Amino acid sequence: LTKPPAALSPSAEEKQRAEVEEEFPEAQPFDLLTVPVIGPLLRWRHSRTLLQIPLLLISIVMILQGLLGPTLSPKNLATVLTWVHFRGALVLAILSAGNLFCMACPFMLARNMMRRLVRPRFNWPRRLRNKWIPVALLVLVLFAYELFGLWSSPWLTAWVIVGYFAAVLVIDGLFKHAAFCKYVCPIGQFNFIASAASPLEVAVREPEVCDSCSTKDCIRGRRDPSSTLVVLERGCELALFQPAKFGNMDCTFCLDCVHACPHDNVGVLSRLPAGELMSDPNRSGIGRFSRRNDIAALALVFCFGALMNAFGMVSPVYTVEDWLKRVLHFNSQTMALGILFTAVIVIEPALLLGLAALITRSWAGVKSGWLAIAVRYAYALSPLGFGMWLAHYGFHFFTGLYTIVPVTQNAFAEIGWPILGNPQWMLVGLPKTVVEPIEFGFLLLGLAGSMLVSWRLAQDDSAKHPVRAFAPWGVLCVILFLCCVWLMTQPMDMRATMMAG
Amino acid sequence: LRRLFALLLLAAMPWVMAAGCRKPAGASGDILMDASIAPQPVRAGAETVAFRLTNAARQPVTGTRVQVEGDMDHPGMAPVFADAQEISPGSYRAQLNLTMGGDWVVLFHITLSDGRKIERQMDVKGVESN
Repeated sequence: LTKPPAALSPSAEEKQRAEVEEEFPEAQPFDLLTVPVIGPLLRWRHSRTLLQIPLLLISIVMILQGLLGPTLSPKNLATVLTWVHFRGALVLAILSAGNLFCMACPFMLARNMMRRLVRPRFNWPRRLRNKWIPVALLVLVLFAYELFGLWSSPWLTAWVIVGYFAAVLVIDGLFKHAAFCKYVCPIGQFNFIASAASPLEVAVREPEVCDSCSTKDCIRGRRDPSSTLVVLERGCELALFQPAKFGNMDCTFCLDCVHACPHDNVGVLSRLPAGELMSDPNRSGIGRFSRRNDIAALALVFCFGALMNAFGMVSPVYTVEDWLKRVLHFNSQTMALGILFTAVIVIEPALLLGLAALITRSWAGVKSGWLAIAVRYAYALSPLGFGMWLAHYGFHFFTGLYTIVPVTQNAFAEIGWPILGNPQWMLVGLPKTVVEPIEFGFLLLGLAGSMLVSWRLAQDDSAKHPVRAFAPWGVLCVILFLCCVWLMTQPMDMRATMMAG
Repeated sequence: LRRLFALLLLAAMPWVMAAGCRKPAGASGDILMDASIAPQPVRAGAETVAFRLTNAARQPVTGTRVQVEGDMDHPGMAPVFADAQEISPGSYRAQLNLTMGGDWVVLFHITLSDGRKIERQMDVKGVESN
């Protein structure tokens, strides 16, 4: 059984709640669980399984099509669903609701089935209880995507999905709780950081009810009194104690806490998107963001990775790669891409954030060290990064929206069962003239979010000179925004790098 | 240890099952194709695809209907189509409007005079943007 965190004293909780109430006094949150049909459906204890089953079936179809279907990427369900529809739907769901993909994650359904046969014995090693592994994996995924042109290979895409299932089964087969989700899954970390900008959060309805709760089922779960081996309701596997939970970090929207709470006191509540980044409370299962260099690094990879991922899809990337090869006298595509990734994901953020932190420190008289300031403001860049992911993935999603129709028709035809008719290959998606304004809207939304978060942090850091504390971060946000706009206006030029070599 | 072994076996099963499942690329037949695209270097915009069809005896294959299809190698992009014209016995030409830079795949949907349908493919790597 998981112990609730002892460090969170009632006074700390009260202070935290008071901070929130002070910031948003008029807030009467909307609760998704009170909505007819949707609410009762989500409160049903098998609701997650109901959402996972279709995704598991689709995953199996994608693997089979990827391995056995058409080798041409635009005609294969594995590549079309993964790189056009899944990515786009994921970020749009996070923007409009919350971390719905983790909620419906098919890998967790496979894991749950496996755990009926194999019981994990080990706890995740203490030294690895941080986000450094998923940060490295996220960079690796982005790098492999460019290097191997994953979008162009149904076969490789299928193996990525198979590899994901295998990794989940091995890690969660060996380690207890949700070790894979919390400490490994790169998609999950992407979702956690992005969902800071979500309008919904799994949260306590009435904090006073939790004060009088003695069982803490939301984190401990509930077991059969006659046999402690029988779990009646699972508590939070990601060690988030509801009364002290703050924000969406590490929350998979599994709703285990909703089902476990004997007082029906956990809801899916509305909140100010990105509001959780504007203060730095002690978060259950996480601690203070300002003391988590690993999560700050994740936020930076999320933001600068968005730029790199889009940069890999436009013409200038090839000019830069050729220039690098000429100047540094090598001919390796891998090395050129490695240098680019290091420059954009490591050196560029280090220089920009270091400089901005130094200016804030000296100009606004903030007493913290430059690294502590950089870590604190790193989170403020995540809304802008999310804006860029939305613009990029949203572009592919909307412009290729209808491609699922002919690809599905073709998949049926290929197995000799053409019940959906001949593939209508001319069905593609929305015209660029419609999609481009949406892209810029996403970028502007991201800029507004990052500016607002930076401003609130600056107000807290320097009551005397908030403008001075904010100025370098505001300028940094505008520079990154202009980079995003520049990228989105470049001609698309998608080459599978290894093959282009 | 037995459980660990069972777990690893379970995880490795999809690999074992799928080993060798990849489709062989470019099935050959008795119809040979020699195709090219011009002008070079290939840039986004109008490009001419020229190709010659011959049979096993190296005789020109005439009277076929050929639809040429251009696809980006990224999913979700609009394909482009053109009907090829036979300009001399066995020699065909089509104009494709490549809409963007990047890697393209050109598919030839060929209907022979006897009604048989075959497909051929040509990769066009590194089309430059305008």
